[in-house]
Amino acid sequence: MNGENPRQIGARVQRFEDTRLLTGSARYIDDIRLPNMLHLTIARSQMAHGKIVEIDTSMLEDSDFPTWVFTGEDTRGLALRAHQDYPEMQYSEQPLLALDTVRFVGDPVAAVLAEDPYLAEDAAELVFVDIDPLPVVATMDQARDSTVPPIFEGWKNNTFIERQMKGGDLEAARQAAAHVIKRTYRNQRQTGVPMECRGVVAHFNDADRVLTVWSSTQMPHLVRTYIAEELDLPESRIRVIAPDVGGGFGIKGQVFGEEVLVAWLALKTGRPVKWIEDRREHLIASIHARDHEHTLEAYVAADGTVLGLKADISVDVGAYSTYPFTAAGDPGMAAKVLPGPYTIGAYEATFRALASNKCPLGTYRGVARPSAVFSQERLMDEIAREIGMDPFEFRLKNIIRDFPYKNVLGFTYDPGSYAESLEKMQALLADDIAAASASKQSKDKRIGVGFACFIEQTAHGTPDFTRRRVPIETGYVAARVEMNPDGEVVIGLGLQSHGQGHETVMAQVAADALGIDPANVFVRHGDTLTSPYSVGTWGSRGGPLGGGAVHMASLQIADKLKAIAGHLLQAEAGDIILADGKAALANDPSRSIEIRKLARAALRNLDQVPEGMTPGLVAEFSLDGPKDGTYANAVHAAVVEIDVPTSKLTLKRFVVVEDCGTILNPMIVDGQVRGGVVQGIGSALLEHFVYDSEGQPLTTSFADYLMPLAPEIPDVEVHHIETPTPLTPLGAKGLGEGGAIGPAAAIANAVSDALGTEVASTPLNASAIWDLSAHLRSA
Amino acid sequence: MSDITLTVNGTKRTVSVESRRLLADVLRTEFDLAGVHIGCAHGACGCCTVDLDGQPRLSCLTFAVQCDGATINTVESLGGKQAEHPLQQAFKSEHGLQCGYCTPGFIMTLAPYVDEMVGRGEMPSDADIREAMSGNICRCTGYQGIVAAVRKAISDQIGKETTP
Amino acid sequence: MRPAAFEYHKATSLEHALTLLQEFGEDGRPLAGGQSLVPMMNLRLARPGHLVDINGLGLDSIEERGDVLHIGALVRHQRYFDDPIIARRLPAFLEAVHWIGHPTIRRHGTLGGSISHADPTAELPAICVLYDAQILVASTAGERRIAAADFFANAYVTTLEPGEMVTGVEFPFPPENNSGAFLEQAERRGDFALAAIGVSINHDTSTITSASIVCAGARLVPTRAPEVEAALVGRALSAPEARAAGTQFSENINPVGDHAASADYRRGLIAELTTRAIERACEKAREHS
Repeated sequence: MNGENPRQIGARVQRFEDTRLLTGSARYIDDIRLPNMLHLTIARSQMAHGKIVEIDTSMLEDSDFPTWVFTGEDTRGLALRAHQDYPEMQYSEQPLLALDTVRFVGDPVAAVLAEDPYLAEDAAELVFVDIDPLPVVATMDQARDSTVPPIFEGWKNNTFIERQMKGGDLEAARQAAAHVIKRTYRNQRQTGVPMECRGVVAHFNDADRVLTVWSSTQMPHLVRTYIAEELDLPESRIRVIAPDVGGGFGIKGQVFGEEVLVAWLALKTGRPVKWIEDRREHLIASIHARDHEHTLEAYVAADGTVLGLKADISVDVGAYSTYPFTAAGDPGMAAKVLPGPYTIGAYEATFRALASNKCPLGTYRGVARPSAVFSQERLMDEIAREIGMDPFEFRLKNIIRDFPYKNVLGFTYDPGSYAESLEKMQALLADDIAAASASKQSKDKRIGVGFACFIEQTAHGTPDFTRRRVPIETGYVAARVEMNPDGEVVIGLGLQSHGQGHETVMAQVAADALGIDPANVFVRHGDTLTSPYSVGTWGSRGGPLGGGAVHMASLQIADKLKAIAGHLLQAEAGDIILADGKAALANDPSRSIEIRKLARAALRNLDQVPEGMTPGLVAEFSLDGPKDGTYANAVHAAVVEIDVPTSKLTLKRFVVVEDCGTILNPMIVDGQVRGGVVQGIGSALLEHFVYDSEGQPLTTSFADYLMPLAPEIPDVEVHHIETPTPLTPLGAKGLGEGGAIGPAAAIANAVSDALGTEVASTPLNASAIWDLSAHLRSA
Repeated sequence: MSDITLTVNGTKRTVSVESRRLLADVLRTEFDLAGVHIGCAHGACGCCTVDLDGQPRLSCLTFAVQCDGATINTVESLGGKQAEHPLQQAFKSEHGLQCGYCTPGFIMTLAPYVDEMVGRGEMPSDADIREAMSGNICRCTGYQGIVAAVRKAISDQIGKETTP
Repeated sequence: MRPAAFEYHKATSLEHALTLLQEFGEDGRPLAGGQSLVPMMNLRLARPGHLVDINGLGLDSIEERGDVLHIGALVRHQRYFDDPIIARRLPAFLEAVHWIGHPTIRRHGTLGGSISHADPTAELPAICVLYDAQILVASTAGERRIAAADFFANAYVTTLEPGEMVTGVEFPFPPENNSGAFLEQAERRGDFALAAIGVSINHDTSTITSASIVCAGARLVPTRAPEVEAALVGRALSAPEARAAGTQFSENINPVGDHAASADYRRGLIAELTTRAIERACEKAREHS
């Protein structure tokens, strides 16, 4: 499965990309500089909802430097459209520049260009926008209130979409239940905050008539297609390049209006145009995440078996549907995954996407699963408490043990290590559980242990998208592998690497299949000109699908190399092994030939290849994900210490037991897990994007929007169990998002344990801890 | 516009700048130093840290015009194109970076710290190391690999793991 | 997020700086470490037309001048860590410095800058109020001194007049038998304080002879607790009834509530931090005695 002679896959290979990143040689979007370039500043709405009365740009005429200004009238007809093919969906369109109405603070109103970024910012201040305020939908309750006017004309209410998912006999489960436990859980609105903001540069070259668009994106091909469709250009004449990208985490995994706008401006002005988002702009107007509310009702038998689960899911998705995962992405995902790793036989979920005058919601690491797992695992703890079972034993009673397992919604889970992970975590936490128990004697210093058990559907394939009827109906990744006459390999990868280490991992994969050193593999990605069409990097598919595609394409080349080697060594191709840069006979390694000589033969000395063999050493493989994806699983645990009188929470320990199938590079896997966990810790404790009742954002800088800093974070202990999946070529499951999924639930359960009270929402900042510990102070 | 003379990565040059130009922008555009990254432009993330006259400095909170006569070093000068500085090597071996955007800022903040500890022959505690990097935000790594890299860079140079 | 245009002036002497500031009035601002002013300028929340760079003016000594400690406006926060006089004579001051920002900010931020910025959650303004410091202010019209309690007018607002700048701060030395503590709670190290409490007590061998208490973060300016301070006088170092003092302060202060922390939480935090800071100061006093 791992090739014939695996030695690179699974090895702790240091990253090839690091040298340029460590020396200032990397080139990010703001490093793209072209002659004669114009700089764009976008004037954005400062009001959450209103009718545009006037946009007065006359003051620009008096400025002492050249400027260009465009408004919604100029870009009329161009918009971001993200529609699902559901009859009941209420459609939203976000014009590239607002037409008539603004719907959140940050909605683009005017594009202002100058020959210098400072001047462009000066010029944007001269655009006067007169807006007549409209009533603001600032809360989920307002969005659900049918008497509140819709934010789009022609809508009947502020619900983008409401749908149901169900399976099994929920009524029977209710009838059979000895316990009915109902709770409502909430996760706050936050965002993902890559350290590099977004940015786009576009330039139309009159010579080859190619529009080149550089964008700090995770999905260059999807950006290309969207620009082509919106601007009515052939895709062959658009090249989208994602240069070095300074983090994405899903935030850069959508197509943005600015990508179309900058391309349009480059065509319109005939000059290269550059837009670099600033940090305030990023916080208020890129993509927000979470903002879920779930009401769950569990039906539990006397022996602790969870018979059924009913869910009502609301997500405030903000002012517009986003492309390509749409307004229904988050609520639909929550509804889909709530049954989780448990043998729940009956399930019914109602899920809705609510519109509000806030920044649009999009994908962020975990996509709804951090919220779903928060609700599910908080509820599991509450059920265990109510029926008097140990939380581990309760979960072990309900955990899925037999694979493949077809869940209540019809999704098939491939083999995992659910029970084993729980048992392993239980053992790892024994001392902490004892310490937590002992701390209950104190009113001042409490220790709490909490954990969360979850699965994550990763690398899901085309049927999963077809079911959802989103604008893209596929999830494949393609790779083209080409060996040059010198034996060096170039991979054109349909992924985009923004920290995941694809340039190293994919080289490892190809190296094993081809019997060469990974240092001889050059991985190119993020450029539509050099990479085959793919959906980009998201949905935890880089390892399983990208790695799988590289493996499969490399095997095709390996077969050809073996055929040539067999021909030259006068042996059967099937008896040849590729390793250490040589093709050798399996049973007589002394008979060998260097792979680079085979490459030369295949490409330049065709008289040496078997008769009839086609020239060339290039292969392309597009790998779609498994129908229902492949399910990674993990248990996360947190140990917290709370100083009750001050509400100071200290995270003492964070432990992960995870199973992502075959590990391609353990260093990178641990890095992904740890980085995800720390983002999840941010979600649990700190990160909160706050709006006031008028829809004005209050957390618009890093002084107010708080992310984890080094001193607050403990080392994250990572333990692995490897259950390779039969569903991907290398046995790998996805793992990029998983780290961020469990922490909110684990930490909330730990806080609940520490304080002996229910926790129903995040963030668990100091003020929240204060409210949760009132009973300890009054007692 | 003012003429200012800066010695940047060992080369002395006079440039003409507008008063309001941030040092970060001038290093990027006039000196072509793409390793100076701007993460927040309000002094809260540390991405833009450079060495100014021997001290880490946020180049987004510094006007270039203030720096007339100053000596400035950026990540480009630290360990050459092959990242040969011990801290760069340790970032690599300990996986102290992922997307790399915050990395030059961390390196320029921590390199003097590592030097100071090496000079003292001391291995600081993890808590001290974390405090030393508390003005820098990394969104990818969760900091653990960076802490490990600092430890490794120090221990590689002082030849011992911990303070006696 | 780049600043609006301004003119830069490198002051060559204090007189030069004051002349320039006089000339520019409301439109001029001194530039020192830039750790507070420049973020505001980059966000275009501040847009002075003229910056007067005072970094070359000296004003960076920490020295005993009779019965006061004089600290120049351009002293950077980092220096307090190594100052033996501050450690010995102004113990709450030293503890407060640990809570200021991050290493890079502490290396460049200045005393004059911090107090002129008048962030209601900041440590150094609170320390000035705690120790009844005198803010030394100069303009072309001459020098004047402003009691710290009168210097902070509102959040981010001081009683400095246009053309004036802070040149230094005088901290009257407490008597030799003095102890102090500074405790703070923030979401993360270096963040805006949710609440911070400074305590300075003078004592004899067994009792408190006088006390000062200040709170940052709860109100628009650093706030003293005169009734609580008075009540502490005469209490035993071994039993200062700190809890009662903390409760009293928290009841009197009427803290603000915002998205970072509720008023109720701030009230509780003030009670607890005050209690702990008094206890800590008394404990340190007992160790000395």
